[in-house]
Amino acid sequence: MRQLTYAEAIREAIRNEMRRDPRVFILGEDVGKFGGCFGVTQGLIDEFGEELVRDTPISEEAIAGVAVGAAATGMRPIAEIMFMDFVTVAMDQLVNQAAKMRYMFGGKISLPMVIRLPEGGGLQAAAQHSQCLEAWLTHVPGIKVVYPSTPKDALGLLISSIRDDNPVAFIEHKLLYNLKGEVPDENEPIPLGVADVKRPGKDVTIVATGLMVHKALNAAKELEKEGIEAEIVDPRTLFPLDKETIFNSVKKTHKVVIVTEEVKRGGWGGELAALIAEEIFDYLDAQIVRIGSLNVPIPFTTVLENYVIPNEIDIINGVKSIL
Amino acid sequence: MELTKELLLNMYTKMNKIRKFEERVAELFAQGKILGFVHLYIGEEATAVGICENLTDKDYITSTHRGHGHLIAKGGDLKFMMAELYGKATGYCKGKGGSMHIADVQKGILGANGIVGGGLPIACGAGLSAKLRRTDQVTVCFFGDGASNQGTFHEALNIASIWKLPVVFVCENNLYGISMRQDRHQAIADIADRAMAYGFPGVTVDGNDVLAVYEAAREAVKRAREGAGPTLIECKTYRWRGHFEGDPTVYRPKEEVEEWMARDPIPRLARYILDNNIATEEELKEIENNIIRELEEAVRFAEESPYPEETSAVEDVYTDLVEEGRVR
Amino acid sequence: MRKIGIIANPASGKDIRRLVAHATIVDNNEKVNIVKRIILASQELGIEKIYIMADTFNIGYKAASNLAYLKQLKADVEILDMPLTAGFKDSMVAASMMEEKGVGCIVSLGGDGTNRAIAKVIKDTPLLPISTGTNNVYPSMIEGTVAGIAAAVVASGLFDKAATCNKNKRIEIYKGRELVDIALIDAVISKESFIGAKAIWDPKSVTDIFVTRAHPASIGFSSIVGYKEIIDDGDDVGAHVQLGAEGETILAPIAPGVVREINIKKFNLLKLDEDYIYNAENRGIIALDGEREIPVRAGDCILFRISRNGPYQVDIRRTLEIAQKSNFFRKV
Repeated sequence: MRQLTYAEAIREAIRNEMRRDPRVFILGEDVGKFGGCFGVTQGLIDEFGEELVRDTPISEEAIAGVAVGAAATGMRPIAEIMFMDFVTVAMDQLVNQAAKMRYMFGGKISLPMVIRLPEGGGLQAAAQHSQCLEAWLTHVPGIKVVYPSTPKDALGLLISSIRDDNPVAFIEHKLLYNLKGEVPDENEPIPLGVADVKRPGKDVTIVATGLMVHKALNAAKELEKEGIEAEIVDPRTLFPLDKETIFNSVKKTHKVVIVTEEVKRGGWGGELAALIAEEIFDYLDAQIVRIGSLNVPIPFTTVLENYVIPNEIDIINGVKSIL
Repeated sequence: MELTKELLLNMYTKMNKIRKFEERVAELFAQGKILGFVHLYIGEEATAVGICENLTDKDYITSTHRGHGHLIAKGGDLKFMMAELYGKATGYCKGKGGSMHIADVQKGILGANGIVGGGLPIACGAGLSAKLRRTDQVTVCFFGDGASNQGTFHEALNIASIWKLPVVFVCENNLYGISMRQDRHQAIADIADRAMAYGFPGVTVDGNDVLAVYEAAREAVKRAREGAGPTLIECKTYRWRGHFEGDPTVYRPKEEVEEWMARDPIPRLARYILDNNIATEEELKEIENNIIRELEEAVRFAEESPYPEETSAVEDVYTDLVEEGRVR
Repeated sequence: MRKIGIIANPASGKDIRRLVAHATIVDNNEKVNIVKRIILASQELGIEKIYIMADTFNIGYKAASNLAYLKQLKADVEILDMPLTAGFKDSMVAASMMEEKGVGCIVSLGGDGTNRAIAKVIKDTPLLPISTGTNNVYPSMIEGTVAGIAAAVVASGLFDKAATCNKNKRIEIYKGRELVDIALIDAVISKESFIGAKAIWDPKSVTDIFVTRAHPASIGFSSIVGYKEIIDDGDDVGAHVQLGAEGETILAPIAPGVVREINIKKFNLLKLDEDYIYNAENRGIIALDGEREIPVRAGDCILFRISRNGPYQVDIRRTLEIAQKSNFFRKV
């Protein structure tokens, strides 16, 4: 087993796939010599050259659209949108073109493309550089949405995303880039649509995504001191969703807390809550608890930002509220 | 530049095919046999044909909501087009796309597009792909005067220019973005001028003169194929019908429509062919009769084809997943 | 009252030489600015009334209303009330109207084609052409301010037209007895059989060139003759050359940035009013001042004649020199 950071694992996945498949290339703002805003693509230009590690102008809609056109004609692009907030500028190409083209054309085209989307707060980057917009994407049929929380998952899931024949939105949490973790020596894909139980437990199920997986793990340690065994399930792919693993956990613990960093109103977490209520209501012994960011834009200064984004205390309180 | 008989008659055939197809669609729409929104290409035939006559099946086009003409000019099959307009299972998109989304990837048609300006970045992607795959494929990107005010127009022209992409941008300036006349929606008269701002040539041609369009497109396609980068061709033309079928067109004077109808591109080409003794009137008539036969076969094919199974609605979203259906 | 006319042709951008050569044009918004500079300069030098051609881009209206808004407009500007075709006919109609209204000078913004249209209709009014493209011989690239000043000098009526202007030559093209068209600089017979993108740009297709003037410092097909013989507008001759595989080879700039080897098979000077009969053996097209205009069919008999029936063209340098020597610019 080797140790890689989350950022290195993403880079390793890209490098692995670019070596393996000449159709794979990267495009995005400052992904070349600059190495990407968060250094994720650093060094790739030295191995693959500026043709395949392609700096683009600051034109998000063109980045997404070029990826669509290239994917439609035999390439497998990986496009980086510098901050997920900027995906709003590229929305037509993702929502109306990429997601719908295969369907509109009667299944006669496939669009193997990945859009990498760094998201999340905690960097005092304020309202336009901190958002978690996964619900905007999971709402649209035709896109797969992947969100790893560890270096190992990032490596394996990105390999699968690049090999997938559909548009994949690959969400990365900015605060995880420096997180070190074990990854297998072989670059193995992890299939999309398979959740991972990050911690077994019997008293309550915590479904968490991205950075919140780690906050949930911290909270679980605290709860353990009080004799509460929380089971933490990381869906890893928001769509397609591994309902079975989540539902099995809930059927076992009969209680569920959903923790996501996105603004709570209209979030993906709400969709999961609805699915649990619709499909396994009888197994629940308590109301479903959702924990998310407050329904405000992400503020700048630390004291405000920390108040808005959920932390371990919120998770512990959430769990205790149904025990 | 030599204009062979074969070339001229091909263009004559394609233009007539578009005209007659669209006229038939208008009838069928009025009869309620075709539903939804249809945007007809009547009056603009010289543009699609003059451009596409310079392309091969391997070249790509991106099209617009007014896409039937581009599709036919690029070799689309009337049967599958008509079946799609009828919403039948045998249509190009198995009834899932309709008029605004017909595509034939085998023929390089990357789809009509319901979003104004939506095809521009996609054309750049196809152009980049050809460049990376080291082929000499050219991508033609059709769009209208309205789309030239979308952000995608500016983003795409810029990116095509810096990357020297083999893309020919074809602006069909039909004078109106839906109801808004060009002199109200932009402060320039010649959209070709905008190419200058992105550092590549732009040229305006009479979009109702298929020979003028062909001549300019030939040079632009050659430029693209040789790796010299993009070109913007603005074709000045006019749509005879409303923005969509059923549009009462209260925003334009009747005289204007009549004036443009007098510049009908099809008799213009016929006159050239006859005046220069390239073909006889009988030959032209024969061409038209063949088209009518082909068209009627297409209508029959569409009428006789089955509708898709309703459960197929949840297929084709992904390559490897079927969404949940419902029980009724 | 001292009056001038301005004809600014908005039909820019229609030149395929932008694509096949490295030509450029002045866009319509810049034409609006040029018109403003003409107005501002000429009104300072005594012009009180300015007629401007109506056009589809509203060049004149945009220029005048902007100056009025800025409170810089002194002259009375009138946009001609005329029907619009968005074609060369507009320039012809405007030029006739301006001549009727007795303007002292018409300033044109356009290429050889625009001036050819104006030249077809005006009789005595001096013409001051400003080039708005890279491929012109007849109009010159000149700043609008200078043009406005020169136009004011000519329209002042203080100077003899014979001193400030040159009476141009032109090429008259007859089919039978009918004068079908004219050219100011060159008429070119091409094997191309269609009008298409209008501009003539492929030298391989050209068989014959007629010119009224020729100089190596010009561009386009007249330069071919200019590289062989210099013919000034004042000289009472024109020339005809036939191109072909054999003969003398020269280099000439036939379009912006396009210098090509051209074979001159036959070269003849043509005297004024001498007829040259061209019997067409194949179909082709005659391009006038660079634009494909007249289709030719096999068997057609076409007559070319160079005459002195062209317009009075303002010689800008000479005009300004005369004005300076006559203290025209001195404030009293």
